Amino acid sequence: MRGPGSSPCASCKLLRRRCAKECIFAPYFPPDDPHKFAIVHKVFGASNVSKMLQELPVHQRADAVNSLVFEANARVRDPVYGCVGAISYLQNQVTQLQMQLAVAQTEILCIQMQHEPALQSHHEVFELDQDDKAHLLHSNNNSINNCNNNYNLAYAMSSGQLNSNFASPSSIIQMQMQDPLKQESLWT
Amino acid sequence: MSSSYSNYTNSPCAACKFLRRKCTSDCVFAPYFPPEEPKKFANVHRIFGASNVSKILQEVEPHQREDAVNSLAYEAEARLRDPVYGCVGAISVLQRQVLGLQSELEETNADIMRYASCLGGETTSVYGARRG
Repeated sequence: MRGPGSSPCASCKLLRRRCAKECIFAPYFPPDDPHKFAIVHKVFGASNVSKMLQELPVHQRADAVNSLVFEANARVRDPVYGCVGAISYLQNQVTQLQMQLAVAQTEILCIQMQHEPALQSHHEVFELDQDDKAHLLHSNNNSINNCNNNYNLAYAMSSGQLNSNFASPSSIIQMQMQDPLKQESLWT
Repeated sequence: MSSSYSNYTNSPCAACKFLRRKCTSDCVFAPYFPPEEPKKFANVHRIFGASNVSKILQEVEPHQREDAVNSLAYEAEARLRDPVYGCVGAISVLQRQVLGLQSELEETNADIMRYASCLGGETTSVYGARRG
């Protein structure tokens, strides 16, 4: 809630209207950051943002605004692909890493198989128990419990920066639109 | 695009149907919002608004407009499914996945180095090349 005598929020300044004390934008678009609302307004439109916020419980609105700002920034930087460019880039990165990991794990297995007697004699230096071997045998997506609320994603992608050997954003869009999105809720 | 004929002889495009207006021959939406996919435009309109979509389409090159529309439709659908995070949620999941895989790859490579040092530096890679 705005206190008496405080300046209008960034959205009411941009929209040139009186900033009421119940202004839905005021808690999330402070007057000292005009760019934040400007970019969200440019991509989504103030009335759409207002409707979206009204549909959410109050405790989720800050995160919603931050994600809208992120998407709007992505769309302004890349008018063709927006955030989808980032998703495509990351999916390609995951695929590459999975391949590299599979190769490395196979290499370890090869080494083990070739040098098993030698390895057993060095067991005091390096010993693998059954759990370690199972871990090495199975490639897995080990999601670490390292939840970064980091919207400053190192975002330097556009379709031109993608490795041409991998899926383009447009094909990612076609594939993904056939499957339901599966997402985790990360913010606590 | 076959849908460009729809505004001449068949029904109006999904956008003009939704907006209840005449679908003209130069309708900017018609090539990308065929009448048989009404939900696509409805979602995009709900999240971005018709005029914002029109502005975005006019900003990009004609050969990129289909991809732009499809990415907007994807983002709109993601936002409708997850009104708080939209497709940013998917980005976060992927970022975590990348970090996890990088960490695991580093550990595995460190294991390979440990093996190499244990065995006096003589190992044979999976491709048959010797390392020493």
